[in-house]
Amino acid sequence: MTQPFLSIRNLRKAFGSITAVHDVTLEIPKGEFLTFLGPSGSGKSTTLYAIAGFQDPSSGDVELEGKSLLAVPSHQRNIGMVFQRYTLFPHLTVAENVAFPLRVRRRPEAEVKKKVADMLALVRLESFAARLPGALSGGQQQRVALARALAYDPPILLMDEPLSALDKKLREEIQGEIRRIHRETGVTILYVTHDQEEALHLSDRIALFRDGRVEQTGSGEDLYLRPATDFVAGFIGNSNFLAAEHLDTKDGTATIRLADGSVVSGVRANGTFGKGQKAKLMIRPEAFGMERSPASAELNVEIVDVAFYGERRRIVARTSGGEGVDIRPTSAAMQSQDLAPCSRQVFFDPTAAFLFPA
Amino acid sequence: MSVETRQSLPTFRMPAGFNGLLPALVLIVLFFVVPVMALLLRSVTEPEPGLQNYAALLGDGTYARVFFNTFLVASVVTIVTILVAFPVAWMLAIMPSALASIVFGVIILSMWTNLLTRTYAWMVLLQRTGVINRTLMAAGISDQPLPLINNLTGITIGMVYIMLPFMILPLVGTLRAIDPMTLRAAALCGASPFQAFRRILLPLSLPGIAAGGLMVFVMSLGYFVTPALLGGTSNMMLAEMIAQMIQSLLNWGLGSAAAFILLVVTMALYALQLRLVGARRMSGGA
Repeated sequence: MTQPFLSIRNLRKAFGSITAVHDVTLEIPKGEFLTFLGPSGSGKSTTLYAIAGFQDPSSGDVELEGKSLLAVPSHQRNIGMVFQRYTLFPHLTVAENVAFPLRVRRRPEAEVKKKVADMLALVRLESFAARLPGALSGGQQQRVALARALAYDPPILLMDEPLSALDKKLREEIQGEIRRIHRETGVTILYVTHDQEEALHLSDRIALFRDGRVEQTGSGEDLYLRPATDFVAGFIGNSNFLAAEHLDTKDGTATIRLADGSVVSGVRANGTFGKGQKAKLMIRPEAFGMERSPASAELNVEIVDVAFYGERRRIVARTSGGEGVDIRPTSAAMQSQDLAPCSRQVFFDPTAAFLFPA
Repeated sequence: MSVETRQSLPTFRMPAGFNGLLPALVLIVLFFVVPVMALLLRSVTEPEPGLQNYAALLGDGTYARVFFNTFLVASVVTIVTILVAFPVAWMLAIMPSALASIVFGVIILSMWTNLLTRTYAWMVLLQRTGVINRTLMAAGISDQPLPLINNLTGITIGMVYIMLPFMILPLVGTLRAIDPMTLRAAALCGASPFQAFRRILLPLSLPGIAAGGLMVFVMSLGYFVTPALLGGTSNMMLAEMIAQMIQSLLNWGLGSAAAFILLVVTMALYALQLRLVGARRMSGGA
């Protein structure tokens, strides 16, 4: 690929003395589903708005197929967008809403009719064509918004937390729809969310935002299994952080001493550490097991409470130093005698544990 | 709501606590219903029983001209008021609320200022040797005084000024209810600013325009002071004619008939608006 489809270069946006986006550079190939994930105020929406043309960046550039978009006004960018709030035109029917972008482009009426029918079929709302938006549920309204945004075959579809106003069940249903539509249309999607599960479920690739910068870019698996920083590890999935002292690193794996004095070797080191440097060890709750295996390391904990969550149990435990540990073994992996509050050892694979600077 | 109405219609009963409302009801009948009835009665009995007052008003070219003038002035004033009020209302709707309340204050303050004072102020400004004409001539824009007073221009300027708040207030309410994101969505859909205005903002603000427009139109139909002071003899409006009939000609019958025609037209317009607004609500629109 000589030239990326969409590229965001050194984008910076300041509002007075507050810098919302510091320095964002991203290259997005055609057809990708890229999610901007991050807590609120991390600059993900501001970046999206700069692409949409609602905000002019303070510096940097946004290029589509090698041509800068910045000088192009919003209504000539030919970009599709679905918003967080319902932004259907309340005085127009569902079909008229979907037809709107085609009508302002003065497409022939026969083409408009056909495209509207195709789009409503795509979002499975054919029978709602004559309804006004006010007569639809929130989920249906967002599907119409999706149909409207795709009606003019935009090269890029922007989605700004489109499901945040919906309840969980509906959200999952529409996530499925969005995946299907992405598959069927091949449109390049930039999706903003603060919901990591949504990001993991939907995206080809995730750009994790923090304080106006991209902390890590990669597939959901990359971010989950190979977090670049402790922020990524803490934001994606659940994680335990234990205080540790670095003893030695060899070939990217480190030997450390935990607070209770036990020594663990073979953990993955993220960054370079000096001898005796304070660090923290990240272990996923589901990386713990109740049985010893040849390669596993052990951790002495006091089990405080055990709860049943269907396929997994959730154990609230504490180290002797008083650090809370969240352990989630599969329900089948636990015997009933493990359930009583007690002091015992739990085990983890050191290669699934990551050392980060404290 | 419709279900409730249907059920309560056949078995109409006096609502509880009705006796307490009696004094207010007597007041309304005595001071509002009776005078209107008296007006109607007088219009068909003076100087003698019959419909000759109405026949005279509706058949005579001079009176027809006054009716035409009245509707012309009310229409022009309403249209100009809408054109001036819309950008002001839009500005107020999107302005930061602290600033908007100051601007609202200024608008309301002008409403509270005495009508006669404001109209005389316009006379001073608009007359041949008034501030506006002198400024225009001093600036070399015009070499002779423009006819700004004692004609339709004068009436329109003076009345639009007085009617503006009645248009701005309902319009701001309607415009504020429109989510600005809707307009951003329209822009991304490819609508130019003009298309977004024409196809989205204007239709969505129509209820406010209709409400304010009707109020302004109806108020303008019966307006007296401003047309009397800023208009010319050829621009006589209905209210002025009624005043003349009763004060100068002591023709109470003809004056009452003219007043009653004005009342019927006003009520017809009001009913029309109720129908339009009601229909909009039923269809589930904005």
